[in-house]
Amino acid sequence: MKRRTFLSGAAGLAVGLALPYLARAQGGPLKLGVLTPLTGAGAQDGPRMLKAMQAVVDEVNKAGGVLGRQIALIVEDDQTNPEAAVRAAQKLVGVDGVPVIMGTWASAVTSAVAPVCWDSKTCLMTVSGADSITQLPHQGYIFRTQPTTTLQATKHAEYIVSTGAKKVAYLAVQTPFAVTMKDIMTAVLEKNGSSIVRGVVYEPAKASYRSEIDSVLAAKPDMIYLNSYSPDLTVLLKDLFRAGYTGGRFTQSYAYNAKTAESLPAEVTDGLVAVQPSSDVDSNAYALLQKRLGVASPDSYEAQATDWVSLTLLAIEKSKKTSGADIRDAVRSISQGSGARVASAVEGLKLLREGKDVNYDGASGNCDFNEKGDIIDCRFRYSLAKGAKFELIKIV
Amino acid sequence: MVIYLLSISVVATIYAVMALGLNVMWGTAGLVNLGLVGSAAVGAYTSALVTTRMGLPIPVGLLAGVLAAVLIGALLSLVTTRLKDNYLAIVTLGFAETIRIVASNEIWLTNGTDGISGIPGPLRAVLTPLQFNALYLAIVVCLLGLVYVVCQRILYSPFGRVLHAIRDDDVVVGVAGKNGRVFKVQAFAIGSGIVGLAGGLYAHYTSFIAPDLFVPLITLYVKLSLLLGGVGNNRGAVVGAAIVIVVLESTRFLVPLIPYISPTQGAAMREIILSAGLLIVLRFRLKGLVPEAHDHLTVRPQQNTAGLRPATT
Repeated sequence: MKRRTFLSGAAGLAVGLALPYLARAQGGPLKLGVLTPLTGAGAQDGPRMLKAMQAVVDEVNKAGGVLGRQIALIVEDDQTNPEAAVRAAQKLVGVDGVPVIMGTWASAVTSAVAPVCWDSKTCLMTVSGADSITQLPHQGYIFRTQPTTTLQATKHAEYIVSTGAKKVAYLAVQTPFAVTMKDIMTAVLEKNGSSIVRGVVYEPAKASYRSEIDSVLAAKPDMIYLNSYSPDLTVLLKDLFRAGYTGGRFTQSYAYNAKTAESLPAEVTDGLVAVQPSSDVDSNAYALLQKRLGVASPDSYEAQATDWVSLTLLAIEKSKKTSGADIRDAVRSISQGSGARVASAVEGLKLLREGKDVNYDGASGNCDFNEKGDIIDCRFRYSLAKGAKFELIKIV
Repeated sequence: MVIYLLSISVVATIYAVMALGLNVMWGTAGLVNLGLVGSAAVGAYTSALVTTRMGLPIPVGLLAGVLAAVLIGALLSLVTTRLKDNYLAIVTLGFAETIRIVASNEIWLTNGTDGISGIPGPLRAVLTPLQFNALYLAIVVCLLGLVYVVCQRILYSPFGRVLHAIRDDDVVVGVAGKNGRVFKVQAFAIGSGIVGLAGGLYAHYTSFIAPDLFVPLITLYVKLSLLLGGVGNNRGAVVGAAIVIVVLESTRFLVPLIPYISPTQGAAMREIILSAGLLIVLRFRLKGLVPEAHDHLTVRPQQNTAGLRPATT
């Protein structure tokens, strides 16, 4: 009896609490969905992306909103897990009826959430890198501001060629893009008289990578490409140092970040080249982002998050409608083309209200999309590790 | 709103199926299994591959998934036949990770960490998303009912009584002339098969599976379901799964009502609520919300004092 009372009481309580929520759902501000990792493996990046989006929304709300309405971000946690993310996405589209979901980070999460989005005609904006994502039958609903594996691998290989390296070794943690990247780099390197002399894909989170390193060094490379994540990169760099390797090392900035740099002594890291898809650091949009967040060098994720919200708001103002399909159809008319170049949502919204065309050039890049939803071009930032600091080599 | 309620009901039902599977192993036979997601992954991948690569109908895929999970469960049980309690728990945890790593690396078969997308769902192409969710809910509820009946039959059959005896003391079972090992393998195989069915159902529902889906988090949610509902009781397993999903989902709506809390803190708060809820239930209702019945169903409670006499009509 007691148990029944408890169960029915709990059910009643749940319904009671949901009622005001349902009542509030009518009218009011324009809701946009945010689905970032706030717990789990992506919890380092999710909150910062959220902050960047909220900052843009606050700015636009202060300037009068979009289509005369205020904007509210509805935030859900994807837990960096596809199952939890699907439930969260169902809530965003089913209960809040958002026209867009922004912020999925892990590739598996994005792939799992994507069918929910296209079934409900909701746009999905993401930083996930796996090439397979935009090859899904997404009917145009996916927009990705992160360069694809193909674009990244090509640019990285071109940089490695420019350093004069001839024998490149490729060491990669097991990821969806580990093998694809190697294949693309091999093609670019061989076209330029260089080659990959050894390719090793390894398991993450091992305490030592001596056997992998021995195998790579046996091929006598003059450049090692470390396609790693932070924890394994730390181990790899130490093991390479102990093995007495002195050639070039090249890695991703998300692996060699400020935290990794601080945790390792200078003699282990000096000379390492780290690359990241560059925010367009000379752009006006990037300068505005620095000011908005009060951060000296916002990273690529913060820049991309800024661009998603800005693109969405401009697309809504342009189409004068708020459905996912309308946003999908309008994005390219404000992200590329012959309109006036604008660097922020506020600036663009003003011009659109005056009936002018705009071309949004964002903080992450110029945000021009191809028919699959991938960005067409992106700049890369190469920096050199020196002590715990980074020295900019170049941005191309 | 309706589509959301339908979709979380589908997920809750699938969790309930998994909890029933776990109950056969853990609740009935006392075999701790922290490798549930391994069986679910085998069921999901088998069904996905049979329907996408070989183009066979979904029921055939599900059946193949169940069979594959039964086999892998039996195999795991044979390997771990001498292990009990914590040792068994650790090995099964390792088993699930092994399956996940195989799925990540055997790219020719599983498409690696990219996962398999476009897994067919029943009539998905012709139905609206709302209709599809409703149909799928009907299907999974029917299957849950079927699995529930099977599990109840197992629980109250002579076979189930032996499993209970193994749980209480497997030496006594041996003394009584039963081969405990054979019963353990059977319990593991049946439980694993049921979990594999749940995995297959999930794959055909969301149309996408990847190794990242089959992480210990899911095992813990299922284990939590059983702990909350009541270990050893099939009704408890179903109720527990429903409660876990209701708690997980309702906190989405409740936590934002707390003033001065950022979404990031809110996300952490949701996890705290779930674990605190479990602690409270375990403190005040150690046997779960729907505790296991004291005796065999055919024995009326008032006859207990007179010993285990079978019920007469």
